[in-house]
Amino acid sequence: MEEKISLLKEQVAKKMSEIKNATDVENIRVEYLGKKGQVIEILKNLKNVEASKRKEVGEKANILRQEIEKMIENKKEEIKEREYDEKINNAEKIDITVPVEDNIGSLHPITIVQKELEDIFTGMGFTVEDGNEVETEYNNFEAVNVPKYHPARDMQDTFWLENGELLKTQTSAAQNKIMLKYGAPLKAIFPGRCFRNEALDASHENTFFQMEGMMIDKNVSISNLIYFMKTLLSEIFKKDVEVRLRPGYFPFVEPGFELDIKCPYCDGKGCKVCKGGSWIELCPCGMIHPNVLKMGGIDPEEYSGFAFGLGLSRLAMMKYNINDLRALNSCDVRILKQMNIK
Amino acid sequence: MYISINWIKDFVDLDGVDVEKLIYKFTMSTAEVEGITKYGQDIDKVIVAQILSVEDVENSKKLHKLMVDTGKEKLQVICGAPNVKVGAKVVFAQVGSTVNGEKIGQATLAGQVSNGMCLSEKELGVSDDHSGIIILDDDAPLGEDIKNIIPVEDVIYEVDNKSLTNRPDLWGHYGIAREIAAITGRKLKPLEVEDLKLYNDMEKLQVGVEVEDDDNPLCLRYSAMRVENVTKKMSSWKVKVRLYYCGMRSINLLADMTNYIMLELGQPMHAFDEKVVGSVNVRTLKEDTKFTTLDKQERLLDKGTLMICHEDEPVGIAGVMGGLDSEITDNTTSLFLESANFDAVAIRKTASKLDLRTDAAARYEKTLDPELTELAIARFIKILKAEDKDIKVTSAFTDVYIKRYPHITIHIDKDYIDRSIGKVLTMQEITTTLKNLEYGLDVDGDNITIEVPTFRATKDVSQKADIIEEIARIHGYDNIEPKTNLWKISPVPKDPVRELEYASKELLATKYGMSEIHSYVWYNTEMNQELGIKVRDNLKIVNGIVKLDNTLRREMAPTMLYAINKNLKYMPECRVFEIGRTFEYEFDGKDAKENKILGVAVASSKAKEKELVYEVKSMIDNIIKINRNLNAKYENIELVQNNWMHPVNSFSIIVEGQNLGYISVVHPKIKDAINPKTSIVVAELAIDKLGNIVKNDISYKEISKYQTVTFDLSLIVDKNVKYGDIEKVIQETNMQYLMEYSLVDIYENIEKMLGKKTVTIRFVIGSYTDTLTKEQIDNEREIVLEALKKNSMYINE
Repeated sequence: MEEKISLLKEQVAKKMSEIKNATDVENIRVEYLGKKGQVIEILKNLKNVEASKRKEVGEKANILRQEIEKMIENKKEEIKEREYDEKINNAEKIDITVPVEDNIGSLHPITIVQKELEDIFTGMGFTVEDGNEVETEYNNFEAVNVPKYHPARDMQDTFWLENGELLKTQTSAAQNKIMLKYGAPLKAIFPGRCFRNEALDASHENTFFQMEGMMIDKNVSISNLIYFMKTLLSEIFKKDVEVRLRPGYFPFVEPGFELDIKCPYCDGKGCKVCKGGSWIELCPCGMIHPNVLKMGGIDPEEYSGFAFGLGLSRLAMMKYNINDLRALNSCDVRILKQMNIK
Repeated sequence: MYISINWIKDFVDLDGVDVEKLIYKFTMSTAEVEGITKYGQDIDKVIVAQILSVEDVENSKKLHKLMVDTGKEKLQVICGAPNVKVGAKVVFAQVGSTVNGEKIGQATLAGQVSNGMCLSEKELGVSDDHSGIIILDDDAPLGEDIKNIIPVEDVIYEVDNKSLTNRPDLWGHYGIAREIAAITGRKLKPLEVEDLKLYNDMEKLQVGVEVEDDDNPLCLRYSAMRVENVTKKMSSWKVKVRLYYCGMRSINLLADMTNYIMLELGQPMHAFDEKVVGSVNVRTLKEDTKFTTLDKQERLLDKGTLMICHEDEPVGIAGVMGGLDSEITDNTTSLFLESANFDAVAIRKTASKLDLRTDAAARYEKTLDPELTELAIARFIKILKAEDKDIKVTSAFTDVYIKRYPHITIHIDKDYIDRSIGKVLTMQEITTTLKNLEYGLDVDGDNITIEVPTFRATKDVSQKADIIEEIARIHGYDNIEPKTNLWKISPVPKDPVRELEYASKELLATKYGMSEIHSYVWYNTEMNQELGIKVRDNLKIVNGIVKLDNTLRREMAPTMLYAINKNLKYMPECRVFEIGRTFEYEFDGKDAKENKILGVAVASSKAKEKELVYEVKSMIDNIIKINRNLNAKYENIELVQNNWMHPVNSFSIIVEGQNLGYISVVHPKIKDAINPKTSIVVAELAIDKLGNIVKNDISYKEISKYQTVTFDLSLIVDKNVKYGDIEKVIQETNMQYLMEYSLVDIYENIEKMLGKKTVTIRFVIGSYTDTLTKEQIDNEREIVLEALKKNSMYINE
């Protein structure tokens, strides 16, 4: 009996090594461990084994059964592995270099720059306000200290409308309304579309974007303005920028400044952006004129403040190296798609 | 405006001053400099010579062969100028000299050797005149360097006129010199003038000024003087060259003198030929009148225009331009000199109306100091005497002074100055700056009482902020250290419309592949015609450069369609959007209403119109869902308002009962005009209105712990039945356990199902408290089937 057991063991091991698939494994199981399987038969017929050897034979048969079970288990595992290997080897090879459709549109460069700036300003505690595009003559001119027939009106060719209103020539047109709305202290920016009645060329557009800001509080000084503008512009250009102020005339500020920055693209060495001049005239600003504060319902004896303007169209052109202002209003998707989303 | 450094040196000693650094400081402290030109530095070894003989040149009608004496040698020179004559002293560029950067060498003309050339004014760079060579005064010494006779060397810098808008005092060299004196800390020399009191005993001129409005006179001051016995015709080289370098042309002595004084003091002057204009009456025109100005143009002047008249005859437009008939000519020997001050607004109106922006008008409109008129006459006589010593003043200084500006006194204290600038300056520095700028000062401890000089008091300087500017700019803004302030920071409330705008833009660009565009806020008339778009009348621009495109947009769709039309030329598909303003004007003279609208246009040669409508519907749905947690309803528009909208396939967008816009297939006529092979859909959504709708709160709904049951019903309905009609029936049944339903499919097959279609809807039913029994489930199904049947919607069995 013991011989038979060891013979069976050899037989199974031999068959196992030859089989290829899951069906063969099952056949072996039936043949040896099935209801009428040879190992099971031995166990069933233990009673016929002489008593002295019965225990030993029983143990050995049981061990054999366990061994075969184990072999079957291993074999199954092995076959499964092999099947996966085959699946993997036969898998379609994907060509990752094939281009895919991105279906990504684009945001307008002005939107991108404006959002960036708004985020910087709101982070500094500024309210963002929207002005109108059609404005009254009062808001656009009188309320910012430019009375009728003031020579400063020459600086801005105005689109006049049949109802006596106009297309706003400057974001400053919102100053008065904002002061009346919030009073002092006040921190607000107001981006918007502006219009000038001009013929178009690479550097002149009749429709462009500005962003204007105001900050009004007690004891605001010229020195504070310089600090603020330097901080702001360093944030915008994401590097420490050098600024310089020189006198500039804007009727709604006194003193008024032209703010230049040391060209951030060449660090003032002279490049295409600064046209070799190393300084870029970037941003008109100044201490808000007492008359403008008064018209805005704010007492100039108690409060002072500064205002500044940023050319959004200009900044967008600098950011994307656009050399023709007209590109921004071209509606040409081939141009706009280059700007993407962020 | 051009500034001559030579001229400035008449008033400020600039010895040892680096001129380029000075001009930089001027930019940093006073006004923007646009450019610097150095004149005469590339002229070298040009000398005075004399023509000894003139002979014709064979075979040439124009050329002459000259023998020229340089004082050292006699040279043969070939010259084409018509005004050569024996004995004339000329400006001679010898071989080896440099003229405007070019080396002069020996040349051969018409076979004859020429050892140098005689120069015209243009060649020397001192005027545009190239009609002949320069003939110098007979006393010019032979061989003398021309620079000692004609002041060709100068540095001219151009100041941006715009940055002088508020500074009437800087429209002449003397005012600029005052700034330069303050910047450099040097002394401003007093102006040398004639003492007009010397003539007090002479008769006064007849000057009448009619004043219509005492509070607001158009002529503030009219000063005049008569000068006779003018014998010289031409100005000195100094005057001619300075005028030319500063952008004017030398005309004749008297005209040059008036221009010279204007460029020096900023005060426009006019010289009438005294034989024509011996007395003056200043008044407005009583009716529209034709008048011929100095530039030989006949102009129609409006009633009310301020004129200078002789007796009753207009002889000049006050402050703008004189008349042709009273012009100074070469025969003029006596003049009536006008130095006047006019109302800035009146001059500006007249000059704008006539489109005649003369140098005089540009100065008057800045509001000049009326005190200047007298100073200008006193200076004029002084300078004229230097030019022509024979002149005689034959009248007393005649002066009609109608309106004086009030004296302005400003009280300021040092603490205010320090706080405003943000830097502590010394009292010494403050007072020195103000004194150099000719402010009158009375200092009492830290308090300063400031008398504003008349030339700053017409409108430029009137309050403390103006004084702060004076002190800070001369100190130099660069010398103020940036400092922070302890501002209170408070949270910033978010603007719901603004947030919605950015969220919508980003969604459209990222999820739907849309490109954001910026179009113009007015309609393009040519495009409207080309595409057949008809727009409703709206608010118009009255003075646009492009006359046709004057109507502001009432709707976004037309400008979106222009963009589609443009881009389809380059690509088969195009998706664009813009959040822009539209305007509604009711032609009542009142303010226009302004809206913020999302405009969308999609075009595709592959997709059907239906697919595009659904794509756009998905955009609108998502904008509303994501940002407001609301569902939009859509309704067919019965009667479309605009001709680009499809009469059948246009749909209004309704949110919370408000109509927020529409989606529409583009009318086939307009679509065909753009591209017949393409489907185009447009939409407009009122972003401002949507932004102001409050966001619907999201409230959590528990998931049922019990099993739910799902079943599909395929309904056969008339093909005109809308899904929304079926939905309505389902919503109106009182199914107790209906948890949700959704559309699975709509199937239409024209051949197999004439006039019908199949709509498959999936129902999910269940309970939060129990597992439903079979009876309950069947009952629910029965309820819905019953309701559908009543509406002629049968299931497909």
